[in-house]
Formats: sequence, structure tokens, C-alpha cells
Amino acid sequence: MEHINKNNINQKIKNFILNAIQIPDLRDDDNLFETGIVNSLFAVQLLTFLEKSFNIRVSPEDLLMENFQSVDSATSFVLHKQSV
Amino acid sequence: MISFLSEIQLELYNSFKGFVKENIKPFACEWDKSAEVPYKTIKKMGKAGYFGSFLPKEFGGQEWDIVTYGLLNEAVGNGMAALADLLTIQAMVSIILLKWGTETQKSEWLEQLASGKIIGGFALTEPDTGSDIQSIETEFIDDGNCFRLNGSKKWISYGQIADLFVVFGKINGKPLACILPRKSEGLEIIPINNMMGYRTAKLARLNFGDIRIPPENIIGKPGTALSLIAPVGLQYGRISTACAALGLLRACFEESISYASERKVSGLPLGDKEIIRSLLASMGTDLNAASLLCYSACRAEDEHLPEAFEKVLMAKYFSSKAAVKAASNAVQIKGAAGCNESDPVARYYRDAKIFEIIEGTSQIHESILGKLFLDKTHKEELLSA
Repeated sequence: MEHINKNNINQKIKNFILNAIQIPDLRDDDNLFETGIVNSLFAVQLLTFLEKSFNIRVSPEDLLMENFQSVDSATSFVLHKQSV
Repeated sequence: MISFLSEIQLELYNSFKGFVKENIKPFACEWDKSAEVPYKTIKKMGKAGYFGSFLPKEFGGQEWDIVTYGLLNEAVGNGMAALADLLTIQAMVSIILLKWGTETQKSEWLEQLASGKIIGGFALTEPDTGSDIQSIETEFIDDGNCFRLNGSKKWISYGQIADLFVVFGKINGKPLACILPRKSEGLEIIPINNMMGYRTAKLARLNFGDIRIPPENIIGKPGTALSLIAPVGLQYGRISTACAALGLLRACFEESISYASERKVSGLPLGDKEIIRSLLASMGTDLNAASLLCYSACRAEDEHLPEAFEKVLMAKYFSSKAAVKAASNAVQIKGAAGCNESDPVARYYRDAKIFEIIEGTSQIHESILGKLFLDKTHKEELLSA
């Protein structure tokens, strides 16, 4: 079940990013910001999407770019927030 | 007025308009001339709950939705744009503390901001960076016990009277934000006067001379201040500016309609002339378009939609440009009378231009929106290939 949940979250995040940017594919570990795939302003959109789609609240303690820098890290972050 | 407003939203909008009609509009020209809004007016706005419009009740707010916040800005912008700017700044500081502040920071500052007991300042722009916020040079140094702040900020709205600033800088190259109370030792506030528009906005330059910042005044963590903290404030700033521009646009339309109906030239109403009707048609259409864009953006923000970012950019971009055009045409319709400082349209003309500069210039909006649209189009092409 946990595996299915992780895959669902991963796919949803990937779809959201791919829907917003001009690239044919995205690897789960691609660093979105350092590689310039998205500009830093996209971070707020991604954060809003995560809060809305997965019913989580991003708090000041979560305020690290590492939590949002790739599909993998955002997926882990959502799973972590859902477990607490 | 747009049709989707609820009864409560409409009722609040009417109360905002009533407040502006009684407390702001009749005095706006005089205040503009003296570059001073009486403190008792700011206090009245605080008492009416305007500075805490969207804040939770636990922090003294009204818990109004963002559409209502937009309506408030429209109403105040209709009376005096520079006073709407006070709502803008207060909201930018408040939302940053609400979203990213610690519990201590929230309980210490939010209620005071909501009541208008203290005025906030958003210290991002620097003398040499302008809209290019990534290039800011203000620096934090960690000395082991606290942080030391050095650098300068410029064009800070209400900086002359602000009690509390949210300041953006960098630490070891990573963006960082902090709270800076006015009383901090090493803070120099230099008034900037003689602005073309927004004359009462009390602009200032801030110089930071090795100011001690205790760790408890840091907001968030290094690396996120320009990508996650500032954009949240700027989003609310743009909503406020877009709706205030809509308010000024509405004021231009109201003044122009009234003048075109009453003013007679060679015994005939001015409005009988095709050229005047043409100007009114353009203004009225822009007014409706701006209204739809603004409240669609507010609704998207209320619903917490990721596309709210794009919608707010479009609303601010369109409303500010439309306000400039409407103000120019309002002066044109009134002729020499509209060029006199005692006529409100002269002020609208000067104030409208400021909308195109604050919270990101129109050119910055074009650059971001242009890229967003290009990316979307390419994505659609890729999917259909």
C-alpha cells in the first residue's frame, strides 16, 4: 500500500511539473532549481500544489529547498508530512 | 460589479465604499498636496479591521477571504491609491509572518499589525538592484551569537513611519530574511520626498550599519528567502496593487462619465461627441476586463490553486496598464480642468504610473508571463506530437 501511495504521489508531482514547463521528460532526481529546469518563482507554485493536493501544511521548519528540489525529494517530503 | 460576489462580500464592499466616501475621498487632494495622511485616519482604518483583513481572528484579524481583501483594496484605491499602498505593505509583512514566522514572532507582531498599532515595511529593493531581486547585496554575517546586518534598501514604502521591517539579504550567498524593529541600533532612515505620485507613501532609504539581529528575529532558513518567503509577500502585494489599480480605474470612469454627462459644449453635453464616447467605451471595457481578471485571481488565491500565481501576475499587469490609460483619458476628457491639482484626475494621472512600477514593473511581468505562456504552448505541442 505504501509503495502504491508513493508512486501516486510521485506521478502527481511529476505531472504537475511537466504540465508547467517545457521539457519532454524529467528524471525523479533532477534538481529542478540548480539545473534551471524551473526558475525560483516556481517554488511557490510547487509548494502551493503540494499543500492543496496532499492536504499538508508546509511549516517554517520545512522551509528548506532540499525538500522541494526534485520529484524524489518532494515525494519524500509529502510522505513524511502525511506520516506525522 | 461582478456577479459572483456573495451577499456578505457585497455587503462588506458597500461598507468599504461608505468608509472611503466619508473618511478618505473628500480629503485625498489635500493630503496629497501636503504629502501627509493624518494618523487618525490610519487609526480609523485599523479600527475598522482593514489591516487585518485576511488574518485569523486569533491574531486580531477579520478572516475575510481574498476576494473581500481585493474589494477592500479596490474601494480604498478608488479613494486614494497611496493609502491603498499602506494596505499593500501591511499585508505583505503580515502574510510573511503568518506563513513563515515562528509562533513567537506571530504572537509578538501580528495582532499589532492587524490593529494598525504598528506599521510594517517591506525592505527588499536596493539602490543598485531595482526589480532584479536575486542580485541584492545586503549581507548577514553570523558572529556565533547573533547575526550582523549591513547594506542599504531604497524606495521603501512607508519606511519613514514603519515600526517594523521585514528585511531581505544574503548570508554566505544564500538569501535570508529577518525582522528588524525600527528602534534597532544602527538603523538609519532617510526620507525620500518629492515623488511624482503616491506622495503620501512616506518612502525612505534604509541604511544598515552593523545591526545586531538576534537569531529569534530570523524568518525561515537560509536559501529560501527569495524563492519562498518574498514571493508569498509579493503575491499579496500584487493582489493589493492590482485591485487598487482597478479602484483608480473605476474612479477615472466615474469622474469621466459624470463630467461627460454634465459638461455642456455649445449647449450640448460633452458625451454627445463621438470622440468622448470612444474614450468612455475603451475605459468602461477595460474596467470590466480588469475587474474579471482581479477577482478571478483573488478566487484562485482563495482556492489555493497553483495557477493563482499566473492569474495574479496578469491581473496586476493588466489593471496597472489600464489604470494609466484611463487616467490619461480622464485628464483628456476634462481638458485644462483635469490638469489642475485641485481636480482628482490630476492625482489619478500621477498615481496611476506608480502601479506599473511597484511590486514588479510591467516589463518584469511581461518577461515572466511571456515565458509562462511560451512554456505552456511548447508543452501542448509536445503532447500533441
